[in-house]
Amino acid sequence: MSAISIQSVSKRFPNGFEALKGIDAEIRSGSFTVVLGPSGAGKSTLLRLMNGLETPTTGMVRIDGEIVDRRKVRHIRSRVAMVFQQFNLVDRLSVVTNVLTGRLAHRSWVGSVFYLFRQEDLGIAREALCRVGLIDKAWSRADKLSGGQQQRVGIARALAQRPKVILADEPVASLDPVSSEEIMTLLREICDRDGITVVVNLHQVDLARRFADRIIGMNGGRIVFDGKPEEMTQSVLRTIYQREGIEDDTSLDMALAYA
Amino acid sequence: MNVHDLKSARPQPLPPKPRNPMPVWVAATLAMLWLIVWDLEISFETLAYGVEDMAEYFSRYGQPDFTDLSRYLYLMGITLATALWGTVFALLVAFFLAPLAARNFTPNTVTYRIAREMLNFMRAMPDLLLALIFVAALGLGPMPGALALGVHTAGFLGKFFAESLERVDKGVCEGVASTGANFAQMVMYAGWPSILREALGYVLYILDRNVRMASVLGLVGAGGIGLALHDTLRLFDYGQSAALILVILATILIIDYASAWLRGRLG
Repeated sequence: MSAISIQSVSKRFPNGFEALKGIDAEIRSGSFTVVLGPSGAGKSTLLRLMNGLETPTTGMVRIDGEIVDRRKVRHIRSRVAMVFQQFNLVDRLSVVTNVLTGRLAHRSWVGSVFYLFRQEDLGIAREALCRVGLIDKAWSRADKLSGGQQQRVGIARALAQRPKVILADEPVASLDPVSSEEIMTLLREICDRDGITVVVNLHQVDLARRFADRIIGMNGGRIVFDGKPEEMTQSVLRTIYQREGIEDDTSLDMALAYA
Repeated sequence: MNVHDLKSARPQPLPPKPRNPMPVWVAATLAMLWLIVWDLEISFETLAYGVEDMAEYFSRYGQPDFTDLSRYLYLMGITLATALWGTVFALLVAFFLAPLAARNFTPNTVTYRIAREMLNFMRAMPDLLLALIFVAALGLGPMPGALALGVHTAGFLGKFFAESLERVDKGVCEGVASTGANFAQMVMYAGWPSILREALGYVLYILDRNVRMASVLGLVGAGGIGLALHDTLRLFDYGQSAALILVILATILIIDYASAWLRGRLG
């Protein structure tokens, strides 16, 4: 059964920009999918639709058969965690409190607005922090951590949600190569060990090849490639990264020569 | 742009300078100021001739009479308490109204509009006027003063808070929202922690302002040192009035420095 089902989805923003032009895709439960494509191809929009951060103009997105719509968005989000390029932690809260925000949707607001958490939730947060190797930083303020560490907190927050799906929007775009490797390995390991469906937007072709079960290539709001990493040839990469109206693209040639 | 375009770029002339409307605005403002002076018949001559009279009047305050100092300090204490309670009241109201009046947190546009208009209304009511109304309704004393300050500054504090909340990083909001948090949780996790420092600064500023205002509110019967000043002024007791004014000035200076120091420490 597919964890995520995208049916003829298009998205036009109020400013008239058409980010997605008819997308159909099924993402298998427990798989690791990478979405590749140039900036502005619609990768982020696609991911944000799956978490209800955007609503489609036409078509629908289903998570485990349930349609993502306004009324059920909090219920959906409790099972679809998101990891961001800029980590999006609350800077002034401690690491462990940031991880505990992952439990908010599972609890009524009465205790949580006073920062009171059940023992069970503290256990989940501790476990998540151990998993990302940051248990010793539990009481540090989130903004005192390095970029790579902050992203690991972001992943711990996602894990604390006990989600079915983790969406990662350019999770390594602001990180150095070593931290990037760490984060990708962590996401892959979460996918393999916990059977959580992972969908990652990436800019790095090499990381996509190494970590993905399946690669979806996007360009100009459409899916232009969908297949296994080994099926992604140079000519496929050219279709993914080609730019409109430019015949002889030396920049494209140079960029793909080492990809 | 293609790399080819970059290489073949020839030097080009500077694009035409955009029009700058600044001189027109300055001229219009000056013209309006002159019109006002002309229309209100403001005479700088009278001001110059009046300096002597003013000097004579102020000289009557030359010998402050501190014999009743302990009573003055007690009255100043009441004024401070009035200001403090007004600020607490404002803080409570603003704490609940501000998230509703912040575009990025409010549950829907209807609550947003209602909260905004409530804050606007409270802010638009001058505290002197409110004090007059509350004194009439509740009688003389510090209580109507505290209420008047509270209502008026709740409007300010609520607006400041709402605007700070609107500046909370969109990413941080999305980070918390993406976990499935509800309105109250969003406000408590993404909202207040992100603006805590700014918000404390605003509260100190409002407290500082309320101390100054509470002294004046006494003049309309809202208790404290202002009421005493009102009485001595009407009895033409310049010595006691001078002492009272000095106590007020000293207190305001101390509060001013203290809050500046505290806000500096908050960064």
